Amino acid sequence: MAVIEIRERAPETTQRQRYSHYFAVAFCLFGLLLGLNLRDSALFATTQYADTRAGIRAFYPENWLIDTSSPDYVFRVRDMTEPGFKTTIQVSMEPVSPQTAIRNVIEALSLERMQTLAQYTILSIDPYFLEDQPEAFAVSYAYAAGNTDPFLESVPEVVRGMDILTIKRGQAIIISFRSDADTYEQNLPIFERFLNDLEF
Amino acid sequence: MKDSTALAKFSHLSGFRRVALLALGALVLCLGLIAATNVLAQQPVSGFNLERIQRATVFLIQAQDVGNDLEITCVGSGTIVNRNGLILTNAHNVAPSETCPGDTIVVALSVRLDEPPIPKYIAEIAQMDPGADLALLRITRQIDGRLIDPTTLGLPFVELGDSSSVALDQTITVVGYPGIGDDPLATVRGTISGFVAEPSGGERSWIKTSANIPGTMSGGGAYNSAGQLIGIPTTAPVSTIAASLACVWDTNRDGIINNSDRCIPLGDAINSLRPSNFAAPLLRAASLGITIQPLTNTATPPPPTDPPRFSRLFFSPSVNDAGMPTTVLRSLPAGSNSLYLFFDYENMTPETVYSLRVTTDGIPNPTFSLAPVRWSGGERGMWYLGSSTQPWPNGVYEFTLFANGIAADTARLVIGGAPQPAPTFSDISFGILDLQGNVLGNGFVLPAGNVASAEFLYRGMTDGTPWTAIWYYEGEEIFRTPEDTVWTGGAEGRRTTSISVPDGLLPGNYRLELFIESRLAATSDFIIAGAQEGVFPKIFDNAHFTTAASVAEARTSPAISTFAARTNVIYSVFNWQQIAPGTPWRMRWSVDGNVFYDQTQPWNGPESGQQYLVQVTGPDGIPDGTYKMDLFVGRLQLASIEARVGIGQLPIDRFALTTGAQLRGRIVDAETGQGIPGATFVLISDQYSVSDFTWDEEQIYATSISDQFGRFEIDRLLQFSTSDRQIPYSAVVVAEGYLPLSADGLVVEEGEDSSIDLLIQMIRD
Repeated sequence: MAVIEIRERAPETTQRQRYSHYFAVAFCLFGLLLGLNLRDSALFATTQYADTRAGIRAFYPENWLIDTSSPDYVFRVRDMTEPGFKTTIQVSMEPVSPQTAIRNVIEALSLERMQTLAQYTILSIDPYFLEDQPEAFAVSYAYAAGNTDPFLESVPEVVRGMDILTIKRGQAIIISFRSDADTYEQNLPIFERFLNDLEF
Repeated sequence: MKDSTALAKFSHLSGFRRVALLALGALVLCLGLIAATNVLAQQPVSGFNLERIQRATVFLIQAQDVGNDLEITCVGSGTIVNRNGLILTNAHNVAPSETCPGDTIVVALSVRLDEPPIPKYIAEIAQMDPGADLALLRITRQIDGRLIDPTTLGLPFVELGDSSSVALDQTITVVGYPGIGDDPLATVRGTISGFVAEPSGGERSWIKTSANIPGTMSGGGAYNSAGQLIGIPTTAPVSTIAASLACVWDTNRDGIINNSDRCIPLGDAINSLRPSNFAAPLLRAASLGITIQPLTNTATPPPPTDPPRFSRLFFSPSVNDAGMPTTVLRSLPAGSNSLYLFFDYENMTPETVYSLRVTTDGIPNPTFSLAPVRWSGGERGMWYLGSSTQPWPNGVYEFTLFANGIAADTARLVIGGAPQPAPTFSDISFGILDLQGNVLGNGFVLPAGNVASAEFLYRGMTDGTPWTAIWYYEGEEIFRTPEDTVWTGGAEGRRTTSISVPDGLLPGNYRLELFIESRLAATSDFIIAGAQEGVFPKIFDNAHFTTAASVAEARTSPAISTFAARTNVIYSVFNWQQIAPGTPWRMRWSVDGNVFYDQTQPWNGPESGQQYLVQVTGPDGIPDGTYKMDLFVGRLQLASIEARVGIGQLPIDRFALTTGAQLRGRIVDAETGQGIPGATFVLISDQYSVSDFTWDEEQIYATSISDQFGRFEIDRLLQFSTSDRQIPYSAVVVAEGYLPLSADGLVVEEGEDSSIDLLIQMIRD
């Protein structure tokens, strides 16, 4: 018995087909990159804040609530979607004399916070590198925060914070970051990006 | 007030098709918007928002630091009258005194209205009028001692009403704490049963009420039908009455709780309200944040050591403009509705507690009695209590005055029958005689000179009737008409009598008593002060405003009538002459026509001098406005100066709104119904819609963050829309893990106060 094997001849891909394949792969990659980019844009979208009087330009996360009405700070932004304590970035300026050292500012700040924040505890004071600044310090601290409305029954939250302090043009510049202790590490990159973009 | 729970359909359809979710969400948001709009528009409203009043009512604990413990020394009620935490209460509840020696004031709030209050804050006295027994506290710290920025408090508060507009038989509601901290808020209803006149506040120095108010509610609030505070229930505890003490702790650690321990004075049942108009200057001064401090003659005389004393009780049917009796009564005919009890007082201090007990035919008459209250006059002088707004029923009245719980003096009067024709003297006024024999001047404050004259009316006199005029200087008799003096002027008319002293009448307080036979028929006090300027006294001169770097410089700095905005210190300077120590004088300050400082006190400096200095300070700058200082002796205005600061007009307080709707609610998970803690409710100002909202605080009317049960509340009242002006609010609700919600066009229809309770359902993202 003879076996007759009928075999289809392997088709030759045309150049056009090959380019189509390459294009499809490239398109997928492009789509993937675009998606990643869109995701990043959504996640890390920022809004510009500029105060020519204070000489500050900053980019803060989009849809964070900005407040410039208080005399206590130049501006403050808060993430109002966070549960519990609202992650906050704040920039404030205090006039200082030529004799004032950053350590003096830290002491004054600590004295004030001891009187206004519950269980205020300084965790560490370390030198910090700020671009174009000869000297800066980072103060890490923690405290307990609660709802200010006396008629609401909220459990106080542990808040961790970090102040970056430097002195420039006769002003102490205090850049503060505060977040719920549970999400502090997770939110810290937001503050780092803020610092990278901050101009003063 | 009528609350209602609104199921605002701020909810999403729970679904699994995430693609459709946003579209559905948008649809439901629209539904939510419509529902919420309708909800807000249809709220039943009424003028009296009891819940808001209750939330503004606080329990005050005065405590003393003893070693490491705080011992409770006094308790009382108070009312928040400003969103920044100003609390109105009785001064005796909070000011350190013999009965209440504490130095710390704890503020407790009713977080749940049906439960006892919870301590939340520490407060300090911002303004005080010990005479009126009113104090205004400012919340300064959290209960754990942390400092508070008052501008961030946003507390519920009530509006001060015009107490001069309340009428007899008007219904009132009194809110306060009936116990010593273990009871929830109490609400007592009653009516206005009368008014009591005193020299310190005129015809409406006290509002009498039929409401049965416990003594611990002293310092709370009495409200009219519009929910405005029209009076402060007031009674002062008398330390000598053991029955009025609550002893609940073994403070001396002897194992027994009795009167030897630190007990809390409770005070008697209250039937008197201090009108809210007395509190208006205190509130204004505290809101302005400025302090007025006299810098000259600041030494105060030592308090009297002898016990307080009342004497020379008599009755008059009316009081003249100078606070003096028009005549002296022996009886009052039926149908009379005006009667005043006059008396002399000595050795009184602001801590003296006095009361008046009236009986009619031997039966206690609470309508005309006055519960124990703090003394609001000086150390000595003439005082009155009375009423001219209600009929006095016929009967034999007995009036007994008490000082610190001890009966001091009693007088009787018969009311009823027909008017008795009897010889009378009345309407004494003082001045200087002109050449025609007319008495000229302002009536009760005369310049220094050799002669003082009095003019009075007489009726029903018969020639030949013996009469006597006796003149006193500082309580000492200095002249009387001869004993055999008889009347020669006819039946009725006007007559003059004078006193002449060759060496001149010394500045000070004088009194004239006129007797018909041996009966006191009329009496009046007057003051001699200042140099002669025609027939008028010139006591204060060269009054002006100035500013300077130091007190010493201020005395010689030139007069200024316009000050820069945010000026920190202003001085008023004036000279004075011939004013005797003890002479009552009054300094009144106002801004834009509203009085914020009004003090009457005895002069305690030398008779004449220059550059009396008063310092006005505002740590954050004196607010813009037109400031005026007026100086009085007796009731005579003798100097008035005015100056502008900044634009010369007070800034408008956009948070002072007291009418509107209270918005609160609960944010819950749509699936589980559990409250979402930490959700943010943002109420956007009416100038912006959700699409305009860029997450800028300036666009926000108010925000609230939900508590552990998902409850939230907006700390500002929503304004009512009117037919002329719609005020459409917008709202955004965000919470991590949930789809955000938003709504435009939230409108509260014009009406009166109401509470709006929203239930907001959110679905998971």
